[in-house]
Amino acid sequence: MFVLNPTSGTPIYRQLVEQIRRLIAGGQLAAGTELPSVRELAERHTVNPMTISKAYALLEGEGLLERQRGKPMRVAARRRNQAPLAQRLERLEPAAAELVLAARQLEIGKKELLALVGDEWEKKDV
Amino acid sequence: MSEPIVSARDVTKLFGSKTALDGVSADVFPGDIIGVLGKNGAGKTTLLETLLGFSPPNRGSVAVFGEDALAMSAQTKARIGFLPQLDELFGMLNGKQHLAIVSAFHADWDRALVERLIAEWSVPLKQRIDSLSVGERQKLAVLSALGHRPDLLVLDEPVASLDPIARRQFLRQLFAIAENEDRAVLFSSHIVSDLERAANKVWIVKDGRLHWQGYLDTLKESVVRLHIRARSVLPRDLAVPNALATRVDGNTAIATVAQWQPSEADALAKRFDGSLDVESLGLEDIFLELHR
Repeated sequence: MFVLNPTSGTPIYRQLVEQIRRLIAGGQLAAGTELPSVRELAERHTVNPMTISKAYALLEGEGLLERQRGKPMRVAARRRNQAPLAQRLERLEPAAAELVLAARQLEIGKKELLALVGDEWEKKDV
Repeated sequence: MSEPIVSARDVTKLFGSKTALDGVSADVFPGDIIGVLGKNGAGKTTLLETLLGFSPPNRGSVAVFGEDALAMSAQTKARIGFLPQLDELFGMLNGKQHLAIVSAFHADWDRALVERLIAEWSVPLKQRIDSLSVGERQKLAVLSALGHRPDLLVLDEPVASLDPIARRQFLRQLFAIAENEDRAVLFSSHIVSDLERAANKVWIVKDGRLHWQGYLDTLKESVVRLHIRARSVLPRDLAVPNALATRVDGNTAIATVAQWQPSEADALAKRFDGSLDVESLGLEDIFLELHR
């Protein structure tokens, strides 16, 4: 469900926090959905369990997740299922900046880049 | 905060005229998995061995579980597991005989754990140890170090010869050990990606000093590479705050900085009259940058 890259310059806990935030903002992780346990996720990705706990605790602090007694974390109930568009777009900004930078380095123009994103959008339209 | 398991204060160690350790102060706390990283000859092995009281430092002191490392009680020693860089297996024995001897030294040898790991890691028990591959020897040596479920596990290059599957299994075992929050693991490795998976803290040893110590996440967030693009040509001797290295090329510059604060970005871009991209770095790149 998550893509964690330990050798990235972005600490693992932040990768996880960003992905869960995005999934919740986009509505893929609906309120009440249970997340894998710390141990399960740590085992699956072979990363230090403290890293997963840290990410969950941060999201709990933000009110996105809630702890249940003796059960896995779950997505907290929210007034609206989806964050406002502006907020969701903000989450995409780092990825967009990275994409634009890579395109500039490859001397790919705006038009071609947008066409590529369009193609990718169609492909991934699940 | 709980008491440290290991506490080193101003430890200096000389070998003749060579300074192997130079004023090292550091703590290992319960729950820590600390990855020790350094070039060959930087002092990693001397550091691990001095922390365990193998030989007296020329200056400074080390406490392990609150006792002087040079005068530990038998009970305290029994709480430690150590894997030396060069294993100390009995070549003429087979694995089974070796483990029988090692386990006899420990009242609380966990047979069930060892048997589970033997099966999981496919450790050959019936072959003479001197006919085993380096990786097989290493697995056996790791088992010998952790079979008594030590509260402090110190491993000097434990995984260098293990295949990727065995390394993952080994890392999971470290998590199982550190899961009990009274325990800690200290391990040196050149396999940086393993440290990134397993360690919550990192010690970078350079020329006998702890060049950097702290949380891995903090290290990754504080050492970054800045890509500066100015409107006009930048001076050759461009001064970037906390720069480890700076390379100027016309109106662009690349600088690796330590102690980076994201809040500085705007001010810095304004100072250079241009734009600033911040590139985060993996541990391997950070290690290389700290060794320029």
